[in-house]
Amino acid sequence: MASSESIRSGAAGPTSTSTDTDEVDLVAVQTYWQLVRRRFLRNRTAVIGLVLLAFLVFSAIVFPMVGGDAWYRTSLVHHPTDPVSIDAPLGYDNLGRNIFFRLTKGLQTSLIIGFFAVLIITLIGTTFGSISGYAGGLVDNVMMRVVDIVLSLPGFFLILMLVAFIGGIVPPMMVIIIAIGITGWTTAARLVRAEFLRLRESDFVQAAKALGASDSRIIIRHMVPSAMAPVLVAATLGIADAVVTEAALSFLGYGIRDPDASLGNMLTAAQDYFYRQPLWIYYPGITLILVVLAASFVGDGLRDALDPRQKLEA
Amino acid sequence: MVTYIVRRLIQAIPIVIGISVISFAIVYLTPGSPIDKFRTGRVSPQTIANLIRVYGLDQPLPVQFVNWFTHFWSFPFNSTAWGYSFTDGLPVRDKIFGRAPSTLLLMGTSLVVSMLLAIPIGILQAVKQYSWADRIITTFETIGYAMPTFWLGLILKQFFSVQLKWLPLYGQNTLGKQGDIPDMIAHLILPVSTLAVVSVAGWSRYMRASMLEVLRQDYVRTARAKGLGPARVIGRHALRNALIPIVTLLGLTIPTLLSGAAITETVFSWPGLGWLGVQAVGDRDYPVVLAVTMIGGMMVILGNLLADVLYGVVDPRIHY
Repeated sequence: MASSESIRSGAAGPTSTSTDTDEVDLVAVQTYWQLVRRRFLRNRTAVIGLVLLAFLVFSAIVFPMVGGDAWYRTSLVHHPTDPVSIDAPLGYDNLGRNIFFRLTKGLQTSLIIGFFAVLIITLIGTTFGSISGYAGGLVDNVMMRVVDIVLSLPGFFLILMLVAFIGGIVPPMMVIIIAIGITGWTTAARLVRAEFLRLRESDFVQAAKALGASDSRIIIRHMVPSAMAPVLVAATLGIADAVVTEAALSFLGYGIRDPDASLGNMLTAAQDYFYRQPLWIYYPGITLILVVLAASFVGDGLRDALDPRQKLEA
Repeated sequence: MVTYIVRRLIQAIPIVIGISVISFAIVYLTPGSPIDKFRTGRVSPQTIANLIRVYGLDQPLPVQFVNWFTHFWSFPFNSTAWGYSFTDGLPVRDKIFGRAPSTLLLMGTSLVVSMLLAIPIGILQAVKQYSWADRIITTFETIGYAMPTFWLGLILKQFFSVQLKWLPLYGQNTLGKQGDIPDMIAHLILPVSTLAVVSVAGWSRYMRASMLEVLRQDYVRTARAKGLGPARVIGRHALRNALIPIVTLLGLTIPTLLSGAAITETVFSWPGLGWLGVQAVGDRDYPVVLAVTMIGGMMVILGNLLADVLYGVVDPRIHY
């Protein structure tokens, strides 16, 4: 990123008047990522998504810190029927716990799981896809059949099995991250492989090969950075899936369990208060929808911005 | 066509074996043994050793796998092919086939309902592109698509069953009213609506995109130039081609008949395969878990095959 900054400052200077190319662009010298950023920031939905995501991340970091142990501290003096106050904007639950801080703690759990699950998905997917695409031939064929097999397994059910069966040994958050990570990497692997098949024949890879660079250097230094754009989009969209999967697992009673906070287990708890506290199912539900919307707006915006065929004027 | 299907089925064999190996491995390599529940102190060590021998658990893992795998495929003739459930001792095959109609009823109904809604909505959006109706519907689609099914199910239950008391809260029939059709329809409404909201949101987007693509084609302009009315141009000329990608996607949704409904079935205690699978995982009912996973995998393979075959059927330009 440092180099792109220096190019941008150079672009503001007198050299930027050169217009010998076909494109008529106000700023002549721009790196790919600068173009991506400009295209992204011109997309209203994408910017709304980014602001929303920033707000959610901020809430998930700051409020649990402000609240201290309020998210799990039970109390005999606070009741669900208490009027809402500045200390408890969403009131107290049946055990006298502060719902607002519980909600933000649950959001924190969701976002941590979403982030690390997607990280694992990206790591496995990129490694697998790049080896498969680079090697080609029989190796590629066998590796893609492995992808077919994993894709054919019923996804949510497999995750449920893993979480339920290995749940006792490892902390629940880690189990969920691992389960989502090791089942969800196939899409990333396919995307990276497709990019690698295309890049393998490109001039800069051939040049690196002619210079005598080793396979691992060509893959890691030259090809992976060029192949990451579609993976970045898939990873952003994948956060939404991971967060919903975690909520579903916890809702069914397999993931994060009470007293730990999760958007899913808050929904389970709210079920018992359907009649007296109907709003309780809306707090975690709306939070979940906001996370999903933010991730998909940013993901869709990135997809449009990363597409070099898209004109800036559009 | 027949040779194509046969070739695809042969290609599927290694995938089926792979699915079996993974499902088997997850169940057998996770901590805990099916015998553990007998280790209570009341059962003598000799009995436990006998049980281990009877169930073949002392044999090498590959042998156990081959035994299970070959046995598994005898299910059309043998009710014990998938073993006995750990929870109630019934043959797993009969349990699964007993639950399948409920899942098919739920998923079939919601598929039909969502198609009947999504196709007209998509057409409307495409024909009136960028109108206020299109914008409002698009907003609802975005929210509907982002909505987790289990949460939507809860909201509907809370509103229609708890607050208004219009519809039953869970199950397939009121106790003592098994087979009563109006009663079952009342029980179907909420789970079907839950599944339909999410799938209508997805399908109508596809329909809109597909219709927009077709409406740009020259032959549509020709049809209009001939003086045909909008109903005939859209309903007869454009719709048929716009449905091609939808039909293909239909095959790809077959697998979600099982796993996609697992959560909805659990929320509404709908006695289908998905709920059975979720319960079996909780009970560590390994034979049922294995059978459900295998069926899920098989449905993915068959769904993909169906999608490709349907594609050839609806689009005569494609030959196999």
